[in-house]
Amino acid sequence: MAEHGLKPPLLPAIGLRGRIVLVALVLLVIPWAGYSYVSTTEQLLREQQERQLAAAARAIAAALHDRPRLATLQEDSPDGEAARAEVRSLVTGIARAGLRIWVVDNRLKLIAVAGDIAGDAAASAGAETTFGVLERAVRAALRPLLARWLDAPALPAEEFIPDDVIFGGREVERALDGASAIKRRPGPGGSAPIVSVTQPVWIGETVAGVAIVEESTAAMVSFRHRAIERLIAVTLVAFGAAALVLLLFASRLSVRLRRLRDEAEQAIDSRGNVRALLSAGSARDEIGDLSRSFSLALNRLADTNAYLENLARRLAHELRTPIAVLRSSLDNLRLKGLPADSTVYLDRAEDGLRRLDTVLTRMAEATRLEQTVRDSERERYDAAEVLAGCVAGYAAAYPDRRFELQRPAEPVMLNGAPQLFAQMLDKLAANAADFAEPGTPVQIALVMRGSTAVLTVSNRGPRLPAGLQLFESMQSAREKQAPGIHLGLGLYIVRLVAEFHRGRASAADLPDGSGVQITVELPTLVVD
Amino acid sequence: MTRRIAIIEDDPAIGANYADALSAHGYTVQLHADRGSALVGLRDRLPDLVLLDIGLGGDPDAGFALCRELRSQSATLPIIFLTARDNEFDMVAGLRLGADDYVTKSVSLPHLLARVAALFRRAALGTAAEGGEETLNRGALTIDLKRFTVRWNGRAIDLTLTEFWLVHALARHPGHVKNREQLMAEAHIVVDDSTITSHIKRMRRKFTATDPGFDCIDTVYGLGYRWRSTD
Repeated sequence: MAEHGLKPPLLPAIGLRGRIVLVALVLLVIPWAGYSYVSTTEQLLREQQERQLAAAARAIAAALHDRPRLATLQEDSPDGEAARAEVRSLVTGIARAGLRIWVVDNRLKLIAVAGDIAGDAAASAGAETTFGVLERAVRAALRPLLARWLDAPALPAEEFIPDDVIFGGREVERALDGASAIKRRPGPGGSAPIVSVTQPVWIGETVAGVAIVEESTAAMVSFRHRAIERLIAVTLVAFGAAALVLLLFASRLSVRLRRLRDEAEQAIDSRGNVRALLSAGSARDEIGDLSRSFSLALNRLADTNAYLENLARRLAHELRTPIAVLRSSLDNLRLKGLPADSTVYLDRAEDGLRRLDTVLTRMAEATRLEQTVRDSERERYDAAEVLAGCVAGYAAAYPDRRFELQRPAEPVMLNGAPQLFAQMLDKLAANAADFAEPGTPVQIALVMRGSTAVLTVSNRGPRLPAGLQLFESMQSAREKQAPGIHLGLGLYIVRLVAEFHRGRASAADLPDGSGVQITVELPTLVVD
Repeated sequence: MTRRIAIIEDDPAIGANYADALSAHGYTVQLHADRGSALVGLRDRLPDLVLLDIGLGGDPDAGFALCRELRSQSATLPIIFLTARDNEFDMVAGLRLGADDYVTKSVSLPHLLARVAALFRRAALGTAAEGGEETLNRGALTIDLKRFTVRWNGRAIDLTLTEFWLVHALARHPGHVKNREQLMAEAHIVVDDSTITSHIKRMRRKFTATDPGFDCIDTVYGLGYRWRSTD
């Protein structure tokens, strides 16, 4: 099966569990969707902030627009000073924490400044969390990463008056030209970016100055950070939960499938005996179905096997009656006193009948043997003594064959049935004697290896045929022309008896390839 | 007076063949094909010997039931189970129900006739008080070859005919090992090796039931069995 079977898989095998957990990766859509939602929201907030700032700037510009004294703003006179003080008080009234207002004249001279950009960023720091510890942990873990990813690059701390912004910025120039503008610039020290709106202040037909309203986006950045942190926490929780559930589910599936596989593998043993599936359970899913249909198939196979096993026995039994008819008829014929020249046919018929009878007996022998072995009583006996007795007997049974025995001096106590052990020896001896080359001895040895008695029977002769299951019933390596009737039960008996003794039998070629050795290992410490 | 033998056998050809052979040897034979007709036919007058098939018609165990019924009517009626089955379980079951012998249908007619004759002799002489001349004595063992009875320390051992022949074969030459083939030939039985083993076991049990110290039947592994001389 293996030689023309399955191609090796191209990818390393991923178990069912792994695959199902991989499915959980679909949940990675959550952060993606969440991120785009956060971005959109942030965009909206930003626009709103800009609108608010623009409105504030317009309001300041409008307020200043109506002051006639502002014309004297630039004068170095008490009027100018008074005008500047008025502007300052106006600006101070509007400014609040987080909102900074500048007013410069058209010569870019600072007239008033009020408010502080820093301040409300701290308000969002201790915000509540949805996932508690988990979210805080995520936040702590992600803070440096998010800072690098989301924050603008850090700049040297901003001086009180950012000259390049106020005086060199194009926005101020544009305002002086009469147009309002919005600018976003990095915050000082890598903090949140700052949005500034510039608005021209008109006096009559000329731009007398510029109002600049600035606000930090710290609140927004903080909102964005928290949203993303929460998003990641949600994703982690969802992924974790989904993976756990899927893992449990997959493990259950996997365990059931593995159990089904193991049972299916063991359902048919090396002898072809079919055992029922234990897990042919009542599960109402595909695995239950599979298990049940497998069970059904196995049951059918078992039925077929049982039928085949019984066939020989039943056939033998059924044929006995017609044979009895034949035999009793022939016997009656003989008793009638046939003429001498007819009895030769009678003899031949009886001879044929006898052979037929032997075949039938052999056919049913395997089943009967199994029954005998099963019904045998256990006792403790000395295998070495039985072995010695048997080997002594073989000298008489096989006069032209030499048996060399090697046995330990001390008793080898086995738990089993001595008559079965003797029967096993008979078969091993007969087998070895049949296959041994003429003139070569059959070597029988019983040695102790630890607590195991090892019986070996070796003979010189042909090697083992490849692929033949020697210890199965109805397997024979004999030539077709071999004398007598051999249905290959000999070594099957050996195995039955070995198994009865809780041992096992194996056959191998001799190391030098000159013959065959059959080994039977029998434990001596069997306790019932 | 001719002896009457009832054959209860569902296969007409076998029944007729056995009936012919037994008639030719001077027995009166009545043939029944099933349990019902056998019970009716045997109710008024029991035959002198019954040849009984185990499976009759559709009932695979009808013979066992019939054996029980016949045994309840007569404790001494010789009953031989005659069956196509050759497994040990059926044999043991049959003998436990009180059958005197158990032969498979592959037995030859001369063997069957010999068993029938032997059982008749045992039945006829068993009741007679007259001492047999043909006895075999081996220490505590006495085998009466005419009555087909065995005594141990003077007490009768209730053996089946097959067991009797096995004991006889073993005890005739104490110390000599008899292998299974020889024993089967001497006991006129055609069964597999393991059946001999169980026969021997049952014989030992019957002897030890009378004498717990009995150990005259020796198992010689790989060879067979022998009678251990007690002299």
